[in-house]
Amino acid sequence: MKKDLISMEDLTVDEIKDYLRLAHSVEDLPADERYRLLQGKIMAAMFFEPSTRTRLSFESAMHRLGGGVIGFAEKSATSVSKGESFTDTIYTVENYCDIMVIRHPGEGTARLAARVSSIPVINAGDGSNQHPTQTLLDLFTIEKDLGKISGIKVAFVGDLKYSRTVHSLIRALMKFDVTEFILVAPESLRLPKYFMMTDEPNKYHFYETNHLEEAISKCDILYMTRIQRERFPDLLEYEKVKDSYLLTAAMLEEARPHLRVLHPLPRVNEIAYDVDKTKYAGYFPQARNGVIMREAILLKHLGVKI
Amino acid sequence: MSERNEKVLMIPKIKLGIVIDHIPAGEGVKILEIISRYEEMQDVPVTLGLNYDSKKMGRKDLIKMQLEFLSPEIIQHISIVVPGVTIKAIKDYRVYSKVVVQAPKVIKNLLLCKNPNCVTNLESGIETLFHAVDEESNRVRCNFCERIFDRSELKPIIK
Ligand SMILES: [Zn+2]
Repeated sequence: MKKDLISMEDLTVDEIKDYLRLAHSVEDLPADERYRLLQGKIMAAMFFEPSTRTRLSFESAMHRLGGGVIGFAEKSATSVSKGESFTDTIYTVENYCDIMVIRHPGEGTARLAARVSSIPVINAGDGSNQHPTQTLLDLFTIEKDLGKISGIKVAFVGDLKYSRTVHSLIRALMKFDVTEFILVAPESLRLPKYFMMTDEPNKYHFYETNHLEEAISKCDILYMTRIQRERFPDLLEYEKVKDSYLLTAAMLEEARPHLRVLHPLPRVNEIAYDVDKTKYAGYFPQARNGVIMREAILLKHLGVKI
Repeated sequence: MSERNEKVLMIPKIKLGIVIDHIPAGEGVKILEIISRYEEMQDVPVTLGLNYDSKKMGRKDLIKMQLEFLSPEIIQHISIVVPGVTIKAIKDYRVYSKVVVQAPKVIKNLLLCKNPNCVTNLESGIETLFHAVDEESNRVRCNFCERIFDRSELKPIIK
């Protein structure tokens, strides 16, 4: 039976661990061996909205495994812009490829594609709902950098109200017995309360603060996100908060020695360039891990064992 | 309402039919609306009674229909919009079967998702699907956009 990757909510901890294990094995493979694994296979990258990084990351993963890539990078390049239904596009494109990677602004679109398609579907982001490959690559990065996931202390900084990346990662970390979270956000962009509600209220601890400095010395992972101007009804409010969440190298003096700073990228002005040269900067290796994790995902969902 | 004028207002007993009882006061209209949407019900005589005294509920609404059989689809539809009502089948003026209907755990193509950015609202002809997230099916999750809603805030699908 074909296997899709649509939502982190569909995955058990053991299944997530399986992806992580596979990513480690992929990384250990020599390039010439890797290059033979998906020869003759075709991936369709169907991006109904632009997301250059995610698309390039998937395409790079497929090329590294020796497979071919077809696709489009925005809706205007598709028949949908001529009025074709989404499902008709799926029924057509599935004849051209072996696996589909779908990015779409409509929530639940990947689920729908998976339901009607006869080949595996990978969700590369459906509106503000899910982006499971991002969460998997974040978990892979954390495990690589710290050697473990359970029991670590993670600080999230920035837009915690709307960030799909943050929501998805918090829920996954909770499954991995990460129990302490520091949440750094302006009042108007705090994590919605329902994320903190669990069946085990005594197990999980969420510390909320407005001050980035408070979090730095207390965490193992500092996960930065972009604060988007559009999120603020009042631009004055935006101007006030935007600089208070700017991480600089000087602020990292009190950091734990193994701390890693992560960011889903692109950054705007959340991380000063002088952080890049510190040992704490983990966001560019994170992008590299993204390709490795996506290689693992492509192999798993195309049923290729290594 | 006193015993005396209750008699006057009471809908006459039916020889053969279906009675929907224990409808929370004010919800009867919702059920009537559902029934009226089904083509098979267009010619069925239906009576709606509002605000009856009820020992159990204080006030209740009541619906009587002159037909032998209410389709499972309509019963399921009612159970989702107003769960907890009693549906009784009447023969020779007697209740010969009754069932209390509860909202199902899986609700297929009966409710509209409230999220305007949900694919079920963006594409036409997509069947909706909700799964209960609590015991009573009061909170349901859309299978597509994964958002959680109060069941009561979701509009029924008009067929
Ligand atoms: Zn929905």
